[in-house]
Amino acid sequence: MHAYDTLRVTQEGNVVTAFLARPDSRNAINMRMVNDLSHLIDAIDDAKDVAVLVLRGSPDVFTCGIDLHEFAAHEKRNIYGLQKWEQMCRELERLNKFTVAAVQGECTGGGFQLMLSCDTRLAERRAVFCFHEVKLGFLPGMASFRLAKYIGLGRAKSIILTGRRVRAEEALSWGILDRVCDQVSFDEALMETVNDLLPFHPVALEMARRLLDESYATSYENYLGHFLAAQYRAINSEAFDRLVASAARQEKASEAGRTGAGRRKAREE
Amino acid sequence: MIETRRIVSPRKAALRRPAQGPRILSVGTATPPRKYTQEEVLAFFHEADPRIRSLFRSSHINTRYLYLPDPVDGRVVEETNEELLNRHLDGALEIGPQAIEECLRPLGLAPYDIDFLCCVTTTGFLCPGISAHLIKKMIFRENVQRSDILGMGCNAAVNGLQAVTAFARANPGKVALLLCVEICSAAYVHNRSMVTAVVNSLFGDGAAAVVVRQDAADTWQQGPIVLDFEPHIIPEALLAMRYTIDGTKLSFFLARDIPYEIGANVEKPVNRILGRHGLKRKDIDHWIIHSGGAKVIDAVEYNLGLTDHDMRHTVGILRNFGNLSSGSILFSFKELCREEVIGEGDVGVTIAMGPGTSIETALLLW
Repeated sequence: MHAYDTLRVTQEGNVVTAFLARPDSRNAINMRMVNDLSHLIDAIDDAKDVAVLVLRGSPDVFTCGIDLHEFAAHEKRNIYGLQKWEQMCRELERLNKFTVAAVQGECTGGGFQLMLSCDTRLAERRAVFCFHEVKLGFLPGMASFRLAKYIGLGRAKSIILTGRRVRAEEALSWGILDRVCDQVSFDEALMETVNDLLPFHPVALEMARRLLDESYATSYENYLGHFLAAQYRAINSEAFDRLVASAARQEKASEAGRTGAGRRKAREE
Repeated sequence: MIETRRIVSPRKAALRRPAQGPRILSVGTATPPRKYTQEEVLAFFHEADPRIRSLFRSSHINTRYLYLPDPVDGRVVEETNEELLNRHLDGALEIGPQAIEECLRPLGLAPYDIDFLCCVTTTGFLCPGISAHLIKKMIFRENVQRSDILGMGCNAAVNGLQAVTAFARANPGKVALLLCVEICSAAYVHNRSMVTAVVNSLFGDGAAAVVVRQDAADTWQQGPIVLDFEPHIIPEALLAMRYTIDGTKLSFFLARDIPYEIGANVEKPVNRILGRHGLKRKDIDHWIIHSGGAKVIDAVEYNLGLTDHDMRHTVGILRNFGNLSSGSILFSFKELCREEVIGEGDVGVTIAMGPGTSIETALLLW
């Protein structure tokens, strides 16, 4: 794996873990980190030996959000860095591998959005989530687009407009998190979460995820067209070939079993 | 429109850019004078079958331009094969020259300046080819080189582009002209079956022309370099799209699953052509994709992971013109150029699919 300034990346088997690693600034998200994440996602996209990408922070903080030191103090600030950030989140959201967010401690702003872009989300019980941007006078990126789809408009307004802190248990009950565990069992829970995702069928994953992302956004007729195109590909994949062959073998075996049992029964009589 | 494409791509930055190459300098299009909504076509054929009516309504097509014959006493007259062939040639010689003129005008060129003429059609069999008819009608030079590509179907614009770019590359400074002209309404068979209804609900008439030239003086602002081609043919699906004979007439047949089969294969040539140049799909700024029909558009979009924004011209051309067969991607190309969103260094991929079953791709570089 490539070495990054702002990430620590490890690989075990087909699982790559990227730790946000700017310890001096509570893992604040700066442009360097956005570029590093983008580069990593690109590399994972190409990697044939990877099935899962896990995003983690430090034991006490996932990230405190955007690094305001990045912005010029006395001149007009442009939007391109933030656009790059959104692009990176989208690439994460549509990566051809499973993605897992594993959060400990504070998870604010951009960290919350990174988590919403992942396929499955796990947090330690002490984790606290918040979008503080509106309270500070700016916007929480495209998180507003994503969060309402997870939890409905009312709850999303309550979180984004008030900037209030959401505890892990509450996030779990709303379906933002899939699992909450104690500090001592965090690594074990993460391993279970990863194992639950496997086996990995890249085509099925990409198509299913894309259809899910569209579920609130398109008409039934258009969705059906997309679904049929996606399903055609899936039922003509190698994985489905194996499934059909295995079903045929089982059918044959049980038929042989039935006739065998029938003969034995006849002999007993 | 918000730009959602990549701002900086290291791969695009590293792309080897030739100092010069054959560029598409201009595009022109033309359609028959009469435009029909799907409802009007149904009314024209007095179509009452609810399945066929529903097929027309769910085609994602609003209007098409067609050379339909005038009804006699309110009824559609059954046409002979000879009449259909004549309609193809007459139509081609009406809209073909219009597309060529629109294409040549901005360059200040006349047919007389063209060194190579390549004509593409599939919707009517004829000998001599359309190129010879056009030379007589539009006064091309008597020593213009020419090729007629007949019967390759919807993908044939890319095959034609292969011919004109090869000519342009071999003859720097000389001018090659490609014309795709399809009178699909001359290949309609009306026998009230679902098979012909699919065709009659989908295809529209149109002509499109491009000029290709390699000249060191031309820049990206004149048009993109055609950098590379990558075909993909699926021999197992040889018969999935083909002409059959209905009595004495040619009748186009489309297998039900072929849109999805194309979708399942489309990443193969795309990955090859992009891989050869060190690019990935997300580096591509512009997708110029054949408007084959709603199903194949969905299948290509999904299998390549493209966005609705990437498909906007493909969908728009289908909605307003139907499936124009070979000319379709050139209509989309024209829409893209008209948007004025193209920047220096942009990369485009063209995909057209048709009988063979074939998927033809080309890589464009501005």
